[in-house]
Amino acid sequence: MTFTTLPGTARPRRRRTGLPVSRRIAPYVFVAPFVALFLAFGIYPMLFTLRLSFTNWRGAGSAQWVGWDNYGYLLTNPAFWNSLANSAVLWLLIIPVQLVIALAAAILLDNAKLKARGFYRTAFIVPFVTPLVAVAQIWVVLFDTNYGAVNAVLGVFGLPDVAWLTSSEWAKPTLALLFIWKTTGFIIVILLSGLQAIDSSVYEAAALDGAGRMRRIWSITVPLIRRTLMFSVVLQTLAVFQMFAEPFVVTQGGPYSSTTTAGLYLYNHITRGDLGTGAANSFLLVILVMALSLGFVRLLRAKD
Amino acid sequence: MTISTQAGERRRPRIGSHAFLILLALAFLAPVAWAVLSAFKPANDIIRHPLEFDLGTFGLDNFVGMFHDVPILHGFLNTAIVLVVKGSITLFCAPLAAYAFAKYDFVGKNLLFGTVLVTLMLPTIVLIIPLLLEMKELGWVNTYQALILPGAVDAFAIFWMRQVIASVPDELLDAARVDGCGEFGLYWRIVVPIIRPGLAGLAVLTVMNIYNDFVWPVVVASSERMATLQVVLSTLASTISGNKIGADYATVTGELLAASTVALVPLLVIFFLLQKHFINGILAGSVKG
Repeated sequence: MTFTTLPGTARPRRRRTGLPVSRRIAPYVFVAPFVALFLAFGIYPMLFTLRLSFTNWRGAGSAQWVGWDNYGYLLTNPAFWNSLANSAVLWLLIIPVQLVIALAAAILLDNAKLKARGFYRTAFIVPFVTPLVAVAQIWVVLFDTNYGAVNAVLGVFGLPDVAWLTSSEWAKPTLALLFIWKTTGFIIVILLSGLQAIDSSVYEAAALDGAGRMRRIWSITVPLIRRTLMFSVVLQTLAVFQMFAEPFVVTQGGPYSSTTTAGLYLYNHITRGDLGTGAANSFLLVILVMALSLGFVRLLRAKD
Repeated sequence: MTISTQAGERRRPRIGSHAFLILLALAFLAPVAWAVLSAFKPANDIIRHPLEFDLGTFGLDNFVGMFHDVPILHGFLNTAIVLVVKGSITLFCAPLAAYAFAKYDFVGKNLLFGTVLVTLMLPTIVLIIPLLLEMKELGWVNTYQALILPGAVDAFAIFWMRQVIASVPDELLDAARVDGCGEFGLYWRIVVPIIRPGLAGLAVLTVMNIYNDFVWPVVVASSERMATLQVVLSTLASTISGNKIGADYATVTGELLAASTVALVPLLVIFFLLQKHFINGILAGSVKG
């Protein structure tokens, strides 16, 4: 009854014989609701998708086994690669900018003597607690070419109007801006928790050595919180490649599919009723995202 | 905007730092502030003078029109039902299962917990299609069950609560057992009071996640009757122009901002009241993949 098969997950505990029945049964009762829901809505559908991805099922009628056809169809389909490329470009537009802003803000907030620290922290979290769909709607209004506030601000500085949402060059940066706006506060909080774990004597030693501010940040702070930084990158990579509500509400994937992200492309299989292909697409996306995450983790290990 | 910290930092640290932080805070608050204030402006002024705010012209016209054209109250009602039922299931079942993982030995414990860890790392989107098909088989498309049950006891909540409960001393539980406390009584009367701060964090995070959830509701419950608040919000422009004959861009924009404002306010109020738990919840929530 009591042996453990994997090390590390269970706390070592005294082995007891003759425990009262109630105590032996209790844990099964406690996990039962979770296990029931987990099997029904977690494990079962996951295995089901794997099987589905090899059929041409459209959600009704009979399914035919089509082998690797769905995967082959996707891998030779420019629209599939376009969706991945769009997500990759968004990743490039988002991650570096976001990390620099979040790191700068977190380092400044890490100073206990900073005035109005609580105010800044609150202000930075506000975007994160707003409902994404509501904000996406606000984005549509703010970035309207003819009537939007953003172009009005540009006009104040004598700059020409920008077709934020209706040109394929600007639609991606506009979505990237929405994503950065929405999630940077969250990254600031994560980085701040990493910074607060650093012993301040490290900085004092470096200051005595005469290291400048930028140098101290680059050669002391960044290496010390590289785990937290990498963790943020992995989290945001997962989020960017699943990005769905932003293009769904703001651009509907356009103009000319320039904002059809991997997440939105996957959703489009559902609206077309092409569920076998959708299932195959899900798995390709999972493999890609897991590979990227593992790649980042390895990168981190290599530097250790 | 990003470099201002570094350049002047050494000579005048306070001014440089504050300039950067103030700019950033403004950039983060401006879109929300602009939307909320604009929602009270006459619709034509929102598009003709987007940067001017004249308190004298403020009114509730956009809100009145919006409540008439958009079934937002119905969306709120659906979200509230899902929030209460799903939230209760999460907050009851997840810590209870976590308690079993933290404080008992049982057959299959390690396998089960290993599976929990693996699901934490999978992108959530992989489950959307298979779950939708399962809902179709069960005849649950456009029902509350479909909105409530999948994801009600999520792996992350168990992972987090297990860590919180592991810190409760075993001696305390043994002592209570000696005093004749039953196994569920131990959980309810000893564990729950101790982990209350963690539970508060989980509650806040759960409320936020359910309130903001969009992908699953739009896939499984997009009918007018079942639409949650976020689903209602996602099609505002077409809803407004569909329900108001001859609605021009200004009217649609005004009502759209009014609806967004109404959706923003509840979470912002909860946030300002429970900030500490929010930050805790977000930090713990960041473990989720």
